[in-house]
Amino acid sequence: MTVQTQVFNTISGAAVQATSERFQEPEWLRLARAAAWENFEATPWPSYKEETWRRTRLTGFKLQQFPLAISEAAGSTRRQDLPAEYLSTLNQIDSAGALVFEDGRLIYAELNSEFRDKGVVFTDLRTALQTHDELVRAHFSALVPARENKFAALHYALWQNGTFLYVPKHVVVEKPFQVLVHLSAGKAAMHHTLALADENSEMTLVEDFTGAVDGMSDTVAEITPMAASRVHYLRLQNLDNTAWNFATMRTAAQRDSLYRQLQASWGSRLSKVWIDLEMEGPGSHGELLGLYFPQGRQHIDHHTNQNHKCERATSDLLFKGALNDRSRSVYQGIIRVWPGAQKTDAYQKNDNLILSAGARADSIPGLEIEADDVRCTHGATSAKVQDEYLFYLMARGLDRKTAKRMIVQGFFQEVLNRVPVPGVRTKLELEIARRVGLE
Amino acid sequence: MTDILEVTDLHVAVEGTEILKGVDLTLQQGEVHALMGPNGSGKSTMSYAIAGHPHYEVTSGDILWNGESILGLDADERAKLGIFLAFQYPVAIPGVSFANFLRAAVSSVRGYKERARAEAGGGNKVIGSELMPMREFRQELLAKMDRFDVDRTFARRYLNDGFSGGEKKRGEVLQMAMLEPKIAILDESDSGLDIDALRIVSEGINKLVADGMGALLITHYQRILNYVKPDKVSVFYQGRIVKTGGPEIAHMLDERGYAWVEEELAQALA
Repeated sequence: MTVQTQVFNTISGAAVQATSERFQEPEWLRLARAAAWENFEATPWPSYKEETWRRTRLTGFKLQQFPLAISEAAGSTRRQDLPAEYLSTLNQIDSAGALVFEDGRLIYAELNSEFRDKGVVFTDLRTALQTHDELVRAHFSALVPARENKFAALHYALWQNGTFLYVPKHVVVEKPFQVLVHLSAGKAAMHHTLALADENSEMTLVEDFTGAVDGMSDTVAEITPMAASRVHYLRLQNLDNTAWNFATMRTAAQRDSLYRQLQASWGSRLSKVWIDLEMEGPGSHGELLGLYFPQGRQHIDHHTNQNHKCERATSDLLFKGALNDRSRSVYQGIIRVWPGAQKTDAYQKNDNLILSAGARADSIPGLEIEADDVRCTHGATSAKVQDEYLFYLMARGLDRKTAKRMIVQGFFQEVLNRVPVPGVRTKLELEIARRVGLE
Repeated sequence: MTDILEVTDLHVAVEGTEILKGVDLTLQQGEVHALMGPNGSGKSTMSYAIAGHPHYEVTSGDILWNGESILGLDADERAKLGIFLAFQYPVAIPGVSFANFLRAAVSSVRGYKERARAEAGGGNKVIGSELMPMREFRQELLAKMDRFDVDRTFARRYLNDGFSGGEKKRGEVLQMAMLEPKIAILDESDSGLDIDALRIVSEGINKLVADGMGALLITHYQRILNYVKPDKVSVFYQGRIVKTGGPEIAHMLDERGYAWVEEELAQALA
């Protein structure tokens, strides 16, 4: 028993097999895990020679120091018995359903019965594998393959659990589905997110990641807005400032769908986040919003891709960050327009506000256009809080600190105004206010 | 009590270059003092120095408020005394709504923060407790928007963001009306205004002067003085006040231009 626990807990080929055994996984999944592990082992560690890793170094990162966060069987906590901090997070949003994970263990689940009756599936990935195996099999790893990058390979080899959300055709759910993912200290956790909005449906998913003190989070998210669906995906990364964070996300927007994603990157000592938006169907519209506000020595790296594969799709990206202390941000983004993707309209903007002489923001926007009838615009700015702004506000009686806070909050407002869930907007405003106060 | 602002032998340098070369001036509540001068004569430097802009270095002389030097005070502390600067070029601050900003400013100037701190006894702060109550603020803002002929949509717009020249100046008057300063320095509040906007801005100034505000009206042109009647007119030239008198000086300037001042100065020196 002792030996077995050790195997479970270590990041190793044995743990890959043990995970499959433990959950009595179907053959296809066993094979997928094994292949992912092979892939992981065959892929070299990131080198600064790769463009995506040029500005982000994994100095001090030792994968073997993190025992795997092992998920136990699903629990059945009542809402009122949840720890106060989870409850207060849940209460911030008027939701259609909620899931709470602790180290991959689902400890709480609720779903409005009206939507359950309409065929909405909102549960953990483990349960979905039992109840909706074909749906899971058809979409799991379909958008993000294990070979995507070394961290995706690791994720697919050792993932324990995740979010599964399916909204059937023509079902409109206006209230958000809420997920809390808490990771305990010092472990490696791999949460997977699989969300499918069937034709002409509507869904909003809010995922909140917390914890991982001195730990590691290695996530993958796959979101599919099918034809004419409307999908909002809000991802709030509130991990501890000591966590290592890796995330690979891809969305494939089908014909006439509308997709809006928000990535709020608050925590982690280092984040490497890939966000890929694939415009696959004509008439689709995608928006990517991002917020970050690192402090201390935090390093936050976002790599985005707006991939226009079809004609008449539009995409719009806005990432805004303020940087304190000796923190650093990297934004690298590209708009790709494939041959034949005529009438593409794509926009990309990254703005940085530098609040401290020791902070640094790198911004590398890019375009690759292989169609001739398109409109693509990109831009990046990096600025300090201007003395003229401060003086104007101070001449009206605001002290320097309040004046600065107001300017920084104003800077983020352009993104906040576009956050589709009021409860989340309030939460983001509070987090920004808290961080401005910390200087 | 009538508050008095005094400027005595003020020398001010910007990045090592002396711009003001010994300015003397006194302004009290209820008084309108027009300060006229050609471009580049140092009028705006004067206004920034009084308001406390950190880039404007006072090399000698003093600025006194009721007899006490305010040189050691930051801009916000001077604002709290009752000094207001209406900017020639108000900056746009995207994302900050006019109403939110003004509520914070009014609360600060009227001492809500100090009161809240005193009541909390240094203990836990309640969010918003340092601000003027929303209802009260709104009522006063709407009343003043009506009184000073400012469109109510201003409240929700971002501070000066996308404002036309005229809207910015009207916004400055509205801020002035809300902050109720004892002394206001109006830095070319007439520039770039069409006749209707000029009339509205001037009427605003007149109303506040009637309420007891003192105004230092900095201008290039005589035009605004048709609407706001000055008690005194001074001519500013090469970093100094070279002439002070009644409204007739403004008319002389209008007819004969600043060349007249130059001639007079040359004669005086000869």
